[in-house]
Amino acid sequence: MVTEEEIEKVAKLMKIEVDDHKEYVDKVHAMIDYFDILDSAGVEDEEISMQEIPITALREDKHIPFDEKLIEKLNHYKGTYVRAPKMS
Amino acid sequence: MNLKISALDYVQEVQNGNISAEDFTAATLEHIHSIDEKLHALLSVNDDAINQAREIDKKIKSGDKVGACFGMPISIKDNMCIKNSKTTCASKMLENFIAPYDATVISKLKEQDAIFIGKANMDEFAMGLTTEFSAYGPSKNPWNVDCTPGGSSGGSAVSVSAFECIASLGSDTGGSVRNPASFCSAVGYKPTYGLISRYGLISYANSIEQIGPVTRTVKDTAFLLNMITGLDPNDNTTVDNKNEDYLSGIDSGVEGKKIGIIKEMMAEGTDPAVVSATKDAISKLEGLGAICEEVSLDMVKYSVAAYYTITATEAGSNLARYDNLRYGYDFSVEGYEFNSYIQKARKNFGPEVTRRMIIGGFVPSAGHAGKYFLKALKVKSKLTKEINEAFKKYDLLIAPTVPILPFKLGEKIDDPVSLFLVDINTVTANLTGKPAISVPFTISNGLPIGIQLLADSMNDKMLLQAARALEQTVKLPEVPI
Repeated sequence: MVTEEEIEKVAKLMKIEVDDHKEYVDKVHAMIDYFDILDSAGVEDEEISMQEIPITALREDKHIPFDEKLIEKLNHYKGTYVRAPKMS
Repeated sequence: MNLKISALDYVQEVQNGNISAEDFTAATLEHIHSIDEKLHALLSVNDDAINQAREIDKKIKSGDKVGACFGMPISIKDNMCIKNSKTTCASKMLENFIAPYDATVISKLKEQDAIFIGKANMDEFAMGLTTEFSAYGPSKNPWNVDCTPGGSSGGSAVSVSAFECIASLGSDTGGSVRNPASFCSAVGYKPTYGLISRYGLISYANSIEQIGPVTRTVKDTAFLLNMITGLDPNDNTTVDNKNEDYLSGIDSGVEGKKIGIIKEMMAEGTDPAVVSATKDAISKLEGLGAICEEVSLDMVKYSVAAYYTITATEAGSNLARYDNLRYGYDFSVEGYEFNSYIQKARKNFGPEVTRRMIIGGFVPSAGHAGKYFLKALKVKSKLTKEINEAFKKYDLLIAPTVPILPFKLGEKIDDPVSLFLVDINTVTANLTGKPAISVPFTISNGLPIGIQLLADSMNDKMLLQAARALEQTVKLPEVPI
């Protein structure tokens, strides 16, 4: 059983502020509790299949010119740099 | 002007000179202005549509090469980028986001002279199945405006079934095209994973989501697929379909085809009207020469939990980019420390997106991944094995698209777990990468019921042929608008 403290800790790590307890923590709690059904699936010995994409199948790693300066679209672009909030 | 025609009929009519793109577009816009206030299918309407239609008419008159759409009005779910136009994802977070480039599907449709008549409403970031999580308010079901149209591509389905466009593109991560198509009596298609490029689709859960058409007829879906499928260097998950022509041979029927009826998708809790419609559809397919028998996919019982675990994990990662520096709404950085700044920005996510981000952080985290995320991946693997086994025996699988009828707006919004269970029949196709289609089949007490067919990967053409055969067994009433 998941505790509310665990959920709130993760929310904090995800940089999400939870004001309305009912709206978030209670509902998230109910949702995660539903996932307990996975324990009954009997898949402990199952292998996880992953699709492997060989590096040769990837797009060539080269610069593709773009006709606009995307950096100028940033909210706090200051001409030569982007203003960001200070790190504590 | 008959706005109710199919895409193929529209093309024929324009080619024959019976209608012009401009007149059709003008009539469509007029209809949108008269009805969309009530239905709220569209988040924005293309002000330049008439001019674009006029240019296409000019090309037709002067004998220039014209694309296969001939100015057909198409709506686009608002999570696909159209250059220089707003793409909000139905979120306050992207309220003012102007896309700097075209999604691949958009480039392909532009080349074919489609007109993007408007951006369709959806659940915020495609998370939901009623459109009630749109930051701009829900869409209404044209069959009964008190009911949800389904979601998350609800606006796409409403706009097609209420004649605000001829066709639409939605995206389907767990049924988001098929569910609203079923609820609004439209055709909804989730292709084989990789058949359509996701470049320019705002990411939710990359490993399972696909763009898919919503149309009035199965043939129209095939017509759209012919234009938007294929390899894309900008999306390395795309597959080479060798320029398959999905329209050719679409009337091949289902004679001799073996169809498995998925037992777990007609389990307890399925509405009796939905069970009855599905049995009727099976009888009709048998009448056309198909051989139908029950098949069990045991993992379906766990599919919804696996689906939400996997999608929340991917969403938690994808949505981390909304830090208000690269995307987001504008407020000064002055006076903020980094974490509090991002926390403030993220308050612009709606409740469902916020919940899924928290879940997306929780289920793969150290100490919990083994119980949730890794187990979900194992269910996904086992479900894929089960369905691959089924496809050794059967050409197609059948089930109701949604186990219940369209329900009242507001009825389930406060109960996320009851909403989960509405997805039970659709998430299997996404988790396993298989193509699936919802075909409008009947109207029960004034509400539509769709039937879902699934095929093995890259058997999209056969799936469309079967859907076409099923579609032809019914004649449905007109939407009461």
